[in-house]
Amino acid sequence: MIEGIRRIQDMMERQSYVTDRAIATTTFLASELRKPVLIEGQAGVGKTEIAKVLATALDTELIRLQCYEGLDVNTALYEWNYPKQMLRIKMEEGRDISVEEQETHIFSDDFLLKRPLLRAISAKDKSPVLLIDEVDRADEEFEAFLLEILSDFQVTIPELGTIKTDHRPYVVLTSNRTRELSDALKRRCMYLWIDYPDFAKELRIITTKIPNINERLARQVAAFMQAIRLVKLNKTPGVAETLDWAMSMMALHQEHLDAETVRETLGSFIKDRDDVAKLRGKPVDILVGSMNGQEEEDLNEWIQSVTQRLEREVASR
Amino acid sequence: MDPVSDPAARARSRLTLKSRARHADLQRHTIAFGRELRQRELLSTSSEIVDALRVMENVDLADRRDVYLGTRAVFMSKPEDQPIFDEVFNNFWRRIAHIDEVDDPNADDEMTSQGEDASDLQEGGEGQQQLRLTSAEGDGGEGDEEGDEEALPLYSPVEMLASKDFSRFQAEEMTEIARAVLVIAKRLATKESRRFRISRKGSQIDARRTMRRNMKYGGTIIELARKRKKIRKPRLVVICDVSRSMDTYSRFLLQFIHAMQNTIGKVESFVFSTSLTRVTEYFKNEDILEALDRIAREVHDWSGGTRIGQSLTTFNQVWAKKLLNRHTIVVILSDGLDTGDAEILRTAMEDLQEHAGKVVWLNPLLGSKDYRPLARGMSTALEHVDVFAPAHNLASLADLSKHLTA
Repeated sequence: MIEGIRRIQDMMERQSYVTDRAIATTTFLASELRKPVLIEGQAGVGKTEIAKVLATALDTELIRLQCYEGLDVNTALYEWNYPKQMLRIKMEEGRDISVEEQETHIFSDDFLLKRPLLRAISAKDKSPVLLIDEVDRADEEFEAFLLEILSDFQVTIPELGTIKTDHRPYVVLTSNRTRELSDALKRRCMYLWIDYPDFAKELRIITTKIPNINERLARQVAAFMQAIRLVKLNKTPGVAETLDWAMSMMALHQEHLDAETVRETLGSFIKDRDDVAKLRGKPVDILVGSMNGQEEEDLNEWIQSVTQRLEREVASR
Repeated sequence: MDPVSDPAARARSRLTLKSRARHADLQRHTIAFGRELRQRELLSTSSEIVDALRVMENVDLADRRDVYLGTRAVFMSKPEDQPIFDEVFNNFWRRIAHIDEVDDPNADDEMTSQGEDASDLQEGGEGQQQLRLTSAEGDGGEGDEEGDEEALPLYSPVEMLASKDFSRFQAEEMTEIARAVLVIAKRLATKESRRFRISRKGSQIDARRTMRRNMKYGGTIIELARKRKKIRKPRLVVICDVSRSMDTYSRFLLQFIHAMQNTIGKVESFVFSTSLTRVTEYFKNEDILEALDRIAREVHDWSGGTRIGQSLTTFNQVWAKKLLNRHTIVVILSDGLDTGDAEILRTAMEDLQEHAGKVVWLNPLLGSKDYRPLARGMSTALEHVDVFAPAHNLASLADLSKHLTA
């Protein structure tokens, strides 16, 4: 592993972001090659977090563009401040100013509302991190526009002229894969797929984010989540849910899992009514029952066997 | 110091020479590697190869994991790519290492020709012939009734073809039908969006342009600039039955799906007989005939039995979450002659209706007057269908536009 990759990994870990080689390598290369990085994965695996951590690590501003269906150029790039323009015109009504003068004035920088993309391009001191979140939710037309921005990092505002970037932003795009992105966009980016963490990584995330958690509880929570993700659910819980749950167990002063408490707190990490109904009864007993007395070495085996039992249980209902 | 007498300097210069040769090798190998990935349908063109080379300059080449993770970030573009990438990566660099050892100068040529042989073998499989047979069957028979259809005084090719049952088309009419289908598909693409476009008769005021236009009146708003909602193309999921009982129709229906996908855009397509296959990717190819050949080749149970229930269950499990929301219209093209369990079909349809904006079932058999949806599968499914309509000719497909608003 070369120095640069280790440095990124260290920086991420220092901000209690538990990372792995793939994440560190891709992030390092994206910043070295100055290419955007496209991060895909299920909800709740920490995609957005990477941009935040990167911004802190590089000690630079994070500019976020949240995408949604119908997001358009006005919201993403710039808009003129109409109320302010109106006021200015009214204020100067009596004065003898030509239309041209007036126009140059009210279409100047002062009246420009910079939206995230323009802010990222026109950053003053150093390259910011531009996070384009959930790009799969934006329309295809917007994707095409984005492509243009990502290749030139310049925009033309008819009234002002062309704005070029002095500090090319680091770009992070995330997608939940609700639709396929265009090949053109994918080709512009380095690609990173983040899966749910394995047991070791999830345990590390728990103990890093909640340092004073009891070791046994942390292990049990991590194992529980590993098993539950193998059950077919409408909404598979992500890492955020793991942490929420571990926190609530802490708040209840639990030192290990017991079926009753798991049932009571099920809602804090299973966020779909049908799923809760599915798991509430026997499955919780199976999980917790077989877990207590389970030694750490053969956790993987335990996960396999308990999942099979769960599947049978869920299917039989 | 005299460089010749300094052993360290000599070693250094030898090293640079060697590493330069290495670099040329690396370039050659990376190009071949990219080519091999392209053959396996990963996104790999010259720009990816250039990126991959830049990656190589930025990582520790002795560290296999660095090289692997770095090139993977370049060539992968969806999670499904990973197993393919892993396989190619492992085989390729192992082969290279081996070749380098025996120092074979023709390493590259050998590799590409191997690859080409492999893909040649894949082509011209049985499936291809199957599809050809399918259309040949469709061509035959019922020629005597054809005259009636054509005698009708119609003035556009679209209308002339419109009322003719698909099962009576000749192969030569394919191009005409393709054109007709395109017209219909374009007509389908007319849904309003929340996004606006400039329009004189629009219902909403466009603040930016109003401001601009009224500058000449000193900012007093005299003229209003308007905008109206953009046409939004509906998001469609089309699931087409290609089992044996659908043979006479499936080729035309697939062509229709192809045209829709290429005009409407947001269309995901699937085919099934006993199991479900996603074919969206195949239809991205502009050439319909090629796409059909590929589907026939790769959908292994083409013209097989029908298990609608299982196929839809697979759809619900694997794809529904990703593709369905309240704006999505699911169109099922099937004759409803199911050989599977009716209960499974009922559950699948229930699920589908719950998660989609609308479920439309198009049944080619509905075109014939004496058809009643009594087949067990069909009557079960009907309880969970929002629209049940025929799909036996172009006119019926054109009618589809009425139903395509979620």
